[in-house]
Amino acid sequence: MTHVEPLAPESITDPELRELIARCEQLGVPDALFPRILAHVPAYAKAVLRAMLMSHAEGNVDHRLKEIVRVQLARFAGDPYFSRLRSRRALEAGLDEAAIDAGSGDYDDDPRFTEAEKLALRYADQMYLDPGKVDAAFYGELKKHYSEAQIMELGAFIALHYGMQVFMRTLGATPPGARRG
Amino acid sequence: MATAPEKIDAAFYVELRRHYSEEEIVELGAFIGFNVGYHTFFGTLKFYPMFAPDGRLVSQEESARIYGAAPVSLAAAESA
Repeated sequence: MTHVEPLAPESITDPELRELIARCEQLGVPDALFPRILAHVPAYAKAVLRAMLMSHAEGNVDHRLKEIVRVQLARFAGDPYFSRLRSRRALEAGLDEAAIDAGSGDYDDDPRFTEAEKLALRYADQMYLDPGKVDAAFYGELKKHYSEAQIMELGAFIALHYGMQVFMRTLGATPPGARRG
Repeated sequence: MATAPEKIDAAFYVELRRHYSEEEIVELGAFIGFNVGYHTFFGTLKFYPMFAPDGRLVSQEESARIYGAAPVSLAAAESA
């Protein structure tokens, strides 16, 4: 039970919102629970879900890397709901739990990650842990591996998903069939 | 939500319901979440308002002098 009750699926009649919720369920992040809570404010729900799906599943940064970053952030936010969800698309593309856990751990010494991937993980890691370290020199390092468009894609993805994870944490939600966090 | 999310518990939501509808609570929560996420990101990009308080279009350097070199969100995080 969450602190704000999700709407019953049959009470959500806006076709655009229903289609977005179906896309969320198909991807697996978020599942239907978060959208059904947001659905109390349909216009907000549509804007937020569209942005979440676009920032996570579209663009020019590897979706598997974004999924590792997303779980790292959710664990940092202390949100069991988003921590336990997994992108089906990322899993189908070969992402496994060992890589997800490694991204939340001592990734700097992990040979499975490229220098570019380590930098993306550090971008998310430092953004809310120690944002003063995400300075001009750090952006200079990012530009050696990513285009400006990719950096904005990563930064906006990190900001949006972290913000929604912090919000969901306060709602006290856990997903059904909980995976490990 | 930003500094002590563990304090936003069931009792806190009951308090919120005394003043706000369910719709307003979701609207506020999503809005705050947006701001928690984005203001820190924006702070790392070091950009400042384009206009001075008196409405003049100003350079980024002048804007930094007017509004402060360190965004409040970063200053708070650094002093924590």
